[in-house]
Amino acid sequence: MGRVALRGIRAHLVRFLLSLLAVALGVAFVAGTFALRTMLSGTFDGIVDAAAPADAYVRVDQPDDASVVMGTTTAQSVPLELVDEVAAVDGVAHAIGGLSGTIVLVGADGTAVQSTQAPSLALNYVPDDPSLHVVEGRGPERTGEVALETATLESSGLSVGDTTTAVLGGEVTEVEIVGRVDLGGPMAGATIVLVDQQTALDVLSPDGGGVNEIAVYAADGTTPEQLAERLAPFAGDGLEVVTGDALRADSKADIASQLGFITTFLLVFAGIALFVGAFIISNTFAMSVRQRMRELALLRAVGASPLQVFASVLVQAAVVGLLGSALGVAGGLALVSGLRVVLGSIGMDLVGDIPVDATTVVVSLVVGTAVSVLAAALPARRAALVPPVEAMRDDVAVPERSLRWRAVGGLAIGALGVTALALALTRPEEDAAETLLGVGAGAVLVGVLMLSPVVARAAVGVLAWPFVRLLRPVGRLARGNVVRNPRRTANTAGALMIGMALVGAVSVIAVSAQQSVTGVVEAQTNADVVVRSATMVIPSGAVDEVAALPEAGTSDAVAFAPLAVSGPGEEPAVDYVIGLADGTLGRSVEVELVDGSLAALEALDAGQVAVTEAAADQHGWQVGDDLTVAGAAGPQDLSVVAVFTTNVLGAPLVVGQDVLDTLVPREQQQVDTILVTAAAGVTATELQDAVADVVAPYVVVSVLTRDEFVSNLAAQVDQLLVILYALLGLSVVIAVLGIVNTLALSVIERTREIGLLRAVGLGRLQLAGTVTIESVLTAVFGTVLGLAVGVALAATMPTVYADDGLSELAVPWANLGGMVALAVVVGVLAALWPGIRAARLKVLDAVAYE
Amino acid sequence: MARDTTPIASARGLVKTYGRGDTAVHALAGVDVDFGRGELTAIMGPSGSGKSTLMHCMAGLDRTDAGTVVVDGLEVSGMNERKLTRLRRDRLGFVFQAFNLVPTLTALENITLPLDIARRPVDRAHLDTVVRAVGLEDRLDHKPSELSGGQQQRVACARALVTRPAVVFADEPTGNLDSTSSAEVLGFLRRSVDELGQSVVMVTHDPTAASYAHRVLFLADGRLVGEVVDPTTESVLAALAALRPARSTEPAAPAASAASAAPVATSSPAAL
Repeated sequence: MGRVALRGIRAHLVRFLLSLLAVALGVAFVAGTFALRTMLSGTFDGIVDAAAPADAYVRVDQPDDASVVMGTTTAQSVPLELVDEVAAVDGVAHAIGGLSGTIVLVGADGTAVQSTQAPSLALNYVPDDPSLHVVEGRGPERTGEVALETATLESSGLSVGDTTTAVLGGEVTEVEIVGRVDLGGPMAGATIVLVDQQTALDVLSPDGGGVNEIAVYAADGTTPEQLAERLAPFAGDGLEVVTGDALRADSKADIASQLGFITTFLLVFAGIALFVGAFIISNTFAMSVRQRMRELALLRAVGASPLQVFASVLVQAAVVGLLGSALGVAGGLALVSGLRVVLGSIGMDLVGDIPVDATTVVVSLVVGTAVSVLAAALPARRAALVPPVEAMRDDVAVPERSLRWRAVGGLAIGALGVTALALALTRPEEDAAETLLGVGAGAVLVGVLMLSPVVARAAVGVLAWPFVRLLRPVGRLARGNVVRNPRRTANTAGALMIGMALVGAVSVIAVSAQQSVTGVVEAQTNADVVVRSATMVIPSGAVDEVAALPEAGTSDAVAFAPLAVSGPGEEPAVDYVIGLADGTLGRSVEVELVDGSLAALEALDAGQVAVTEAAADQHGWQVGDDLTVAGAAGPQDLSVVAVFTTNVLGAPLVVGQDVLDTLVPREQQQVDTILVTAAAGVTATELQDAVADVVAPYVVVSVLTRDEFVSNLAAQVDQLLVILYALLGLSVVIAVLGIVNTLALSVIERTREIGLLRAVGLGRLQLAGTVTIESVLTAVFGTVLGLAVGVALAATMPTVYADDGLSELAVPWANLGGMVALAVVVGVLAALWPGIRAARLKVLDAVAYE
Repeated sequence: MARDTTPIASARGLVKTYGRGDTAVHALAGVDVDFGRGELTAIMGPSGSGKSTLMHCMAGLDRTDAGTVVVDGLEVSGMNERKLTRLRRDRLGFVFQAFNLVPTLTALENITLPLDIARRPVDRAHLDTVVRAVGLEDRLDHKPSELSGGQQQRVACARALVTRPAVVFADEPTGNLDSTSSAEVLGFLRRSVDELGQSVVMVTHDPTAASYAHRVLFLADGRLVGEVVDPTTESVLAALAALRPARSTEPAAPAASAASAAPVATSSPAAL
């Protein structure tokens, strides 16, 4: 039987090729996801190793959940004197006080050197630091000299000896590039500038004298553990001693958990791709079994048992699955190498070979094969159970099984889903609401998938109406073919439906979020001009110069700092705290008061703090509670005087600027936004021009009018949409393959019918037209059903997520219309090959086709 | 009925060879034939005699290797695919042994299919005449799967006639039917000739079916070998017996019994 099964594949290679392709695409995504993840974590591990190469560290005690990712500034510092004391400890080869801070470097083209979202960092240069290797020129020795990391130098377009501009410590300065330095690993696009020790202490030190950490290198014969033990006396008083291994492990775990999210996200899409692929595979096998009914019946007649017939179909599925998966693994790795080239070209170098680890290969193969075998199991069972005599008859009519159980099951699951959604909608404030929403949405989607063959006849009837009316008899023939086998139509359309449901839901949510954000931001911002920075940090010089402009009536800088915050009975956790100058609220920023006093909120005093509703809900904080906020200058108890909601301020806590100043020195605060209102008699345009003039030297600072600011926020949502659409595009590609597959097989299946039609005078173009209309009807059916489900599900979101800023429901009808138009195009494209194939059939061959 | 004596379809020097070299099969080895206008002509012959090939070449379903085919004054040999399609659509009608109907269309839709394809208006009176003649008035809304084999073939006949074609080509039209249904279908084909003036060419291996014809042509090994005018079952059987190689002592009984045997056993050699 095995031989029969394998010969079957060889004899019908074309037929199996498409399902092979479907498996391969689905598996490619899975394999690619795994490989990308391995490569990303390898790269980030490399960065961690390069950034933290020492054997032990003396550093400021970190709260548990504080991120140790590079670029995070701590509010406290390690005293500089300690560096020498540590260096004097027995077994210490080098003790390097490390400093880092943000810098803006102007490249050869006059713009800031910056790639993707990677940070731009200034580090102090210590000549005997073993992790730095000067490979060209020399290290910086005095203020005004810098050395650049190799990749940075390359992407800046500058060379050693050039002079350029940098924004360091909030001031614009001229710097000379005196050298090129390697850090011992790729920095994934981070811009690294080394400055001399004195400059670093002046502008980078958290409190003008200390360093971020002391990196300690052991002398020969001293293990890192021994080193950490000897350094133990330095711990305490806000400092801790950790081994390099522990620090690196911490950082890697931290990064891994962040990458884990990306992996999950990608795997969801891989799952969708496979799920959609499974539809195609099961369709292919269902049709191939149907066509081979006589052959299988012959096998039964000569003595094969139902089990053997069943097994022979499964063997074919397994072979197709295995081959497809193998192709998919290769495709996935190719995908990742392509991605690496793309990422490399935008300045993000990923290290290492494309990882071909056993897990990736085995998981991909198993998943692809299992999906194929499972998808083929149902048709195989059907093939095995057909009585041989019935199948040997001339016209093999496999009775369509009743759709009743599908209807009942679909209705039941759909009803469950709707009930869950209704529960979530009626009590959106309950904690379970989000779970109910997720479960309900999933159940509704599955229910509709099950019901789709039941509704296919009616729905396609409606969609086909114009074709039937306008294109006689082609329209009617096409409609007949589509509704002839509702199950097959629904399965083919189902692949597209899933993708389109996601597209519909995502675009509704995105547009709703956009409208919610822009609506609220418009209502909450009174500033005429908003100043922002591409690096998220506006140099303090720029802040001062904008404030000093005569055209500026008011200039409110939104300064913030990460501080350890704890409510009553809570462990301290790092949160961002914003400091606002008196009068900012109500002048350039409007917030919505939820609880407490508006007067207090608008003039936050010493000992007072306001919190957002989201933070208050999360922590259970109430007006009157005391929060402990710890900064460089020690902890302070602040009383909650107001709870508010905002879409403009990006941090959960707000204090007066004076309070923030007492918690953190000004130099340590970051300003990411300045809200400027025009002085009397100055137009917004004049103000924008004036502000743009003074911030021009700072390169990365952009000046937006209020409208631009709002549309800028909206554009961020658009970017997110593009990524999602790109991923969903893959499921659409697979769905198109599915339609091609079904049509091609259905053309083979209908060969005699096609011969008959041609014999009674149907032209080749008319025949191709019939196939095309079938394809378009199937594609539009899947798209409309999917979009309807997606939009309906997304429409429930604003009720549940109103508190999270998703307050308005907006349906992007134009986008959705575009999707339907896309479905028509998809349908036409999918029909090309099967249509041509059908038109090329020789009439006589088709009439005499067995 | 006044009879135009010019043939409705004719072939001269028709040659059709399948394969080449040692394995070449001469399906038609130079056939000259005329089919009478307003006549029911049957083509008979043993399996492999080339009778189906002759019909396929006449109907423009198959290309000839040599010779000319003229149907209703038009030269079929040498037509391109587009012209052939138009010829089939406008001037020819077809009835096949099986799989005659589009399963997704109702009986009525199947009957008017050629008109729909040609986008010609339906002549209600003619349609009614044809439908009444085949006796399908109350089955028009049924799908093919809801019709018996005989009813399906009658629908196929009605479809072949509804366009008033120059010739109807019927390839074993009763090959899958029991004797009662066969008689209905054949009777209808004969009436369409006698009452509507239709010209019909029918391939069959059933002497009883052939007896409905005005004239029976006999083919063997790709050549026209005989002819019986105004046949009866007996005269056809006698002619067939004469065609058989001399050593055959079997009576013509197998051919006669084939007509009522199970359909599977008598599949047509159309595919050659």
